[in-house]
Amino acid sequence: MKSEIKGSQAFSYVEVELAPDEVIVTESDAMSSMDADIELKARLNGGLFKGLLRKYLGGESLFVNHFSNPTNTPKKMTIVQGTPGEICHRKLDDEVYYLQPGAFIACSPGITLGLEFAGLVSFISREGLFRLKMSGSGDLYFGAYGALLEREVDGEYIVDSSHLVAYEPGIKLKLQLAGGIFSSLFGGEGLVTRVEGKGKIIIQSRSITGLAGWLNPKF
Amino acid sequence: MHTTYNVVITGKLAAGADKTAAINAFGALFKLSPEKSQSVFNKAPVAVKSNTDKTTAEKFYRAISKTGLECRVVDATAGDTPAVSQGQKDTPASSPAAPAATTDNDTPVTFKGFSYKIEGRPDYSFLTVEIPANETLKVEASAMATMDTHLVMKTKLKGGFGRFLTGESLFLNEFSAANGAAEIGIAPGTPGDLVHQHLDGQTLFLQNSAFVAATMDVNLDTKWQGMLKGFFSGESFFLIRASGKGDLWFNSYGAIIEIDVEDDYVVDTSNIVAFTEGLEYEITKVGGYKSLFLSGEGFVCRFKGKGKVWIQTRNAQAFTSWAHFFRPVKSKK
Repeated sequence: MKSEIKGSQAFSYVEVELAPDEVIVTESDAMSSMDADIELKARLNGGLFKGLLRKYLGGESLFVNHFSNPTNTPKKMTIVQGTPGEICHRKLDDEVYYLQPGAFIACSPGITLGLEFAGLVSFISREGLFRLKMSGSGDLYFGAYGALLEREVDGEYIVDSSHLVAYEPGIKLKLQLAGGIFSSLFGGEGLVTRVEGKGKIIIQSRSITGLAGWLNPKF
Repeated sequence: MHTTYNVVITGKLAAGADKTAAINAFGALFKLSPEKSQSVFNKAPVAVKSNTDKTTAEKFYRAISKTGLECRVVDATAGDTPAVSQGQKDTPASSPAAPAATTDNDTPVTFKGFSYKIEGRPDYSFLTVEIPANETLKVEASAMATMDTHLVMKTKLKGGFGRFLTGESLFLNEFSAANGAAEIGIAPGTPGDLVHQHLDGQTLFLQNSAFVAATMDVNLDTKWQGMLKGFFSGESFFLIRASGKGDLWFNSYGAIIEIDVEDDYVVDTSNIVAFTEGLEYEITKVGGYKSLFLSGEGFVCRFKGKGKVWIQTRNAQAFTSWAHFFRPVKSKK
């Protein structure tokens, strides 16, 4: 599958070229334009019960769309995300990758979307009680509000809650206060996520809470 | 995401440098004929070395700086060189003499202060600062996004009563690298640009919400703008005065353009991010009273004197009035 991420970091989109008989799975409403020959099938996101779980707990849609190319020539389509912000591509090679709820955009059919209990720690630090577990091989597209930055973690690293987007399975999440009790209450940092282990994490450079905090007093 | 850097000559001269001598020195450095180096200089801003690593870029930066030409190191992946050069072209009657304070906007490394890099410019700028051992950085409350575990955070009151009145956070976080150098990632809440400024005795006035971070030797206090200026400026009654020595970072909603003011310059009141001390400013209307009400421009800020003004390409009020129409909730009374 040929693909290219275009647009600025503010409004990224993915241009995908589907070879004959190729399929791409996208989140519902992620397609913004495509050649008329591409076929669409809406499928339940891995069975009704799992789909419902994923919708209510994983921040994803109940249905996912399967786009396929039944013709003999390559066809193009454009995939977007709902939030303003950057889109990232990652090639999985028989491995596991974790995404925060809502970050998934599209993947090739070789990747299975699963939902996993992320633990109470993740919930308290406002990263969501569940996380999306992507496993298998193929291309994966995910995005979030803000620019996406990669950080190499070896040991420990602190990430403010609601800035974590994706991480490798070698990473564990823990909870801690940003400073002392006083600092945590008045410094606006509160609880932070302590990321432990070895691997790469993706963070978003803006958070919706930051945006709301800036914007709401102005209305 | 491996970042590469471009070394770009800006087409300006360093302070006190002679143009011909600088161009000849530059030509000697790259083994170019005087005509050739002159034509390179005329094409500026132009990249003299592209897609190189940080160390090589720094080497080039130092060598070129010695010739008397101003150059900067730009993040090659960000691709924001044209935006910067455009901002400089907008400058009215720009003279080759470099002003006292220089912004190294795109420079991922500082040569005097803390080393830092800004990623995601200009939409979602993210600042990463390397705090050396036993040093401290002052950061706007709730702006920290990532940090090394051994940074110690302390919350301090800042700015006194003025801050309280303007609805800004009363507090400021201080991050100290007690046990060895540490890295901190700072993400302001506002979508938009981030600018670094190295202060060396100068004083800068910032719009109240613009402060992001500063080193300890930068003094921050609030300055009452005066009733009239404060009322019409569309921002707040207070400005932040940053003085002293050290690094200062500030941000805004929208991209930031740096403007050298030589004589008179007019900026819409809600688009001012920062300006240097020594500039006088007054709030005036653009035309007569009819245009005041009908042009939609309202009041403007007229700067006089010599200095720098940073403006933002979008303003928050315009955004809120555009977005407000689509908000299903009732506004606060």
